Amino acid sequence: MSVCRSARCLFSKATTGLPKSAPAPATRSFQTTAPRPARRRRPHYPSIKAEELQLLNKAAEATYPKYDTTETTLLEKRYTPDQIAAIKAAETAIDTRDILTQGQRRSDPWLLPYKDDLAEMDPVTDHAEKLSHKDIQGSKTFRYTNPVERDEAITQVAMEQLAKLYPDGVPEELSAEAQADLEDMVGTAMTQAAFDPRAIYTSKNPKAMATMADPRHSIVQPDLPRIENRMMRQTTRLANEEKEDPREKQLLQYMRWTKKQLRGLTIKTLVVHGVVNQTRMGKIRSMYFLTIAGNGNGLLGVGEGKSVEPADGRKQSVMSAIRNMKAIPRYENRTIYGDLEKKVAATRVLLYSRPPGFGLRCQHLIFEMARAAGLQDLAARTPRSRNKMNVIKATWEALVNQKLPDEIARGRGKKLVDVRKVYYGGSVH
Amino acid sequence: MSLVNLAHVCSHLQNASKARLGVTSIPVSKLHVNLMLGLQREGFLSSVVLGGPTPPKPYLLQSQPSPESLDKMAGKLRDQPWLAYPAPEETDSDSDSSTLASDISRRRVALSRSPLGAEEAHHETPVPENPARRRLWLGLKYWNNEPVLRNMKLVSKPTRRIWLTSEDLGKITRTRESSYVKGLTRPGECMFVTTDRGILEARECVERRIGGMALCRVW
Repeated sequence: MSVCRSARCLFSKATTGLPKSAPAPATRSFQTTAPRPARRRRPHYPSIKAEELQLLNKAAEATYPKYDTTETTLLEKRYTPDQIAAIKAAETAIDTRDILTQGQRRSDPWLLPYKDDLAEMDPVTDHAEKLSHKDIQGSKTFRYTNPVERDEAITQVAMEQLAKLYPDGVPEELSAEAQADLEDMVGTAMTQAAFDPRAIYTSKNPKAMATMADPRHSIVQPDLPRIENRMMRQTTRLANEEKEDPREKQLLQYMRWTKKQLRGLTIKTLVVHGVVNQTRMGKIRSMYFLTIAGNGNGLLGVGEGKSVEPADGRKQSVMSAIRNMKAIPRYENRTIYGDLEKKVAATRVLLYSRPPGFGLRCQHLIFEMARAAGLQDLAARTPRSRNKMNVIKATWEALVNQKLPDEIARGRGKKLVDVRKVYYGGSVH
Repeated sequence: MSLVNLAHVCSHLQNASKARLGVTSIPVSKLHVNLMLGLQREGFLSSVVLGGPTPPKPYLLQSQPSPESLDKMAGKLRDQPWLAYPAPEETDSDSDSSTLASDISRRRVALSRSPLGAEEAHHETPVPENPARRRLWLGLKYWNNEPVLRNMKLVSKPTRRIWLTSEDLGKITRTRESSYVKGLTRPGECMFVTTDRGILEARECVERRIGGMALCRVW
């Protein structure tokens, strides 16, 4: 059976356009094995019997009854006709039986503080109500105030502000402090009033004048209210505590560093594995972390941490890596001084200095360490064991304990002169 | 000229520096003496002294001239400065001048006959007449709590000598491999080569354009 023939069959069916009444050919089976019977499909929702449906209807009507006339009149007193229409639409749209079977009460901390009272705007959850120029009735013409009108407007606005601050009127007898406060407030109210639009523009239409004091016409969003609940205070306190980790603070004091310097470090956790302590009570599992820290400019540290809590262990290792940072001598700020060799346990690490532009051609652990320390040209070999922890430790010790040519010359009592400092006017590293 | 003994010396010096010894001794041979003098020239050793089975007295423990005699010597030198130079040697070819012991005894005689008298003979150390009892005493050096000579390895082996030309040595001192000898890549590494001009450091051989048999590398 060729592919072409099956394709011709397909096309002929599409092009000839036989009437639908023609008997459809039996679907050709492409294999000889018996087709697998289809799995019995289960409905996505439990099927409800007629009797149970009756019961459900009754329960729904009992728990969520329809509004009667007295209730609608009460609603009309509280809500606008638009809102009542919206409420009715919602009532008809939502099936009470669905609420009964599927509805859940929210219990999360961020649930809305109201259930059904939509009369008030919530400044946090709701959009601020906005009015446009179309909402101003009457003429919208205005002009600049003359000085007399301006002074009048300023005094009026200032008086309004003060009336808000002293709702019961200014008391007769004031202490010296209260008097100073009052004078201060009068001053600020006058300044604010001078910038109020009512002091600058005037209009014959009193409704247009009222819009100038209306915050709904302002393009500036109203400020969010100060939230004074316990939850908020607790969360903010927790955030502060997280910022001021006591271990980090101690480390900063120890190093005499600022947080900014700490953020500039390259920190990488290279080894993570679980360890088990067998006690008579049973096995205690904890996590081990080995982290390197470097500033990319000749400082490198290796730190270990172990804890039952993974986050704690990681933090321990990071802190100890930063604390253990030591200076690594670099030749021309790019490679090491000569070849190095270090053996830790069964691991032998050989590090080779290389010419400029060679790059870091070494295994990933040594690569990460060289990058963190700011070495650019390096080759390495680990001919024996490649235990990750020992490779890192051996590399770090080899890099830190380099013998410098100056030191060697001092030890041998020889005079050593770096001629590069003479030939290129000392412009090399 | 067996390199086996040199191999023993190499290991011994490594062990001695690991043990932080101040002074150690090795068997005496012309190869050893010349190599040790080369090491001293390169600053790996503080002193090379021929002695007996007991270590030579350190300089500070040797008998020091009294201040009066030093004053007397200074006065003598002020009047006759030419006395500071040794007197010309008298040719006495009857004694066997080739041996080391005879050389030393002759030097002792010359010192006793020096125009300044016995004042400068205080740095003498007794050398046994029996050559089998002689040892070469080496002062080891330490700097910053680290041995100056930490590693010493043979390049030529007793069963496989390696001769290097000055071109080979030039490559090796420039950290490249040549004639199956690895370059001097470690900081402060030296290689000693025995040539027909004596035992020299590889870099000196390159300077003087002479080749020879590689002996050992030191770092």
